[in-house]
Amino acid sequence: MTSETVGGHKVIRRGLVVTGLGLLGLALVYVLALQFTPVERLQGLPQKIFYVHVPAAWSALLAFSLVGIASILYLWLRDPRLDLFAESAAEAGLVFSLVMLTTGPLWGKPVWGTWWTWDARLTFTLILFFLFLGYRALRGAVSDPGERARFAAVVGIMGLVLVPFVHLTVYLFRTLHPQPIVLKPSEPSLPWEMLRTLFASLAVHTILLTGFVMTRYGLGKRAQLAGGDDAG
Amino acid sequence: MPVDPTANAGYLVAAYVVTAMILGAYALTLWRKSRER
Repeated sequence: MTSETVGGHKVIRRGLVVTGLGLLGLALVYVLALQFTPVERLQGLPQKIFYVHVPAAWSALLAFSLVGIASILYLWLRDPRLDLFAESAAEAGLVFSLVMLTTGPLWGKPVWGTWWTWDARLTFTLILFFLFLGYRALRGAVSDPGERARFAAVVGIMGLVLVPFVHLTVYLFRTLHPQPIVLKPSEPSLPWEMLRTLFASLAVHTILLTGFVMTRYGLGKRAQLAGGDDAG
Repeated sequence: MPVDPTANAGYLVAAYVVTAMILGAYALTLWRKSRER
């Protein structure tokens, strides 16, 4: 067993530990949100969906940003580790996007009265999700590793361009989607009990993202060293 | 107007269950792949 193989195993093991801690943290966030956070006066209980929806969106956009940054660096440095990192982050980003795109409508139905509306924020988020589905499909369709990494990096950078645009859609267009309540120039517009739960959930989702990317990266590395191309 | 604080609890339960299922399923997939030789 080479030192690189041992390194791959170590990353997988550490990634799984971080993921386990993240899942435990998610259970604690549920307790915090349900038992120790007040019910919002106008929206009622569905408002608490916010504590998973917003952190999932944060993790998805962070993951897609990391894909873009790693893709730029790959095109510059041609280090295959950057390509593997981008691939791992893209997969985790898709998982968090799925959470964002299912919890959003579950909040929208009782609060807006509709599961979905083609407003700018929702539509651009869906486009970003499909872009990264395409990223995965592209990776599966190109057999030459160098060519695959190059093509995928271009799509990854396109995703990075979309990320700030998704955040700014609520300012640029008339939209049903609520305005940012934390990532905005002025003070967060939430009482402390709600803000505390949101920050706890943001931390837990970031830990989960880290665990997912580490494990997926380690699996990819192990597969590469074993002679296969990918773990996906 | 303030709403009944227990109304629409099903949407909240569904959202929390779906979130745990998606994240848990992906974690389980990674764990199973890590055990493949």
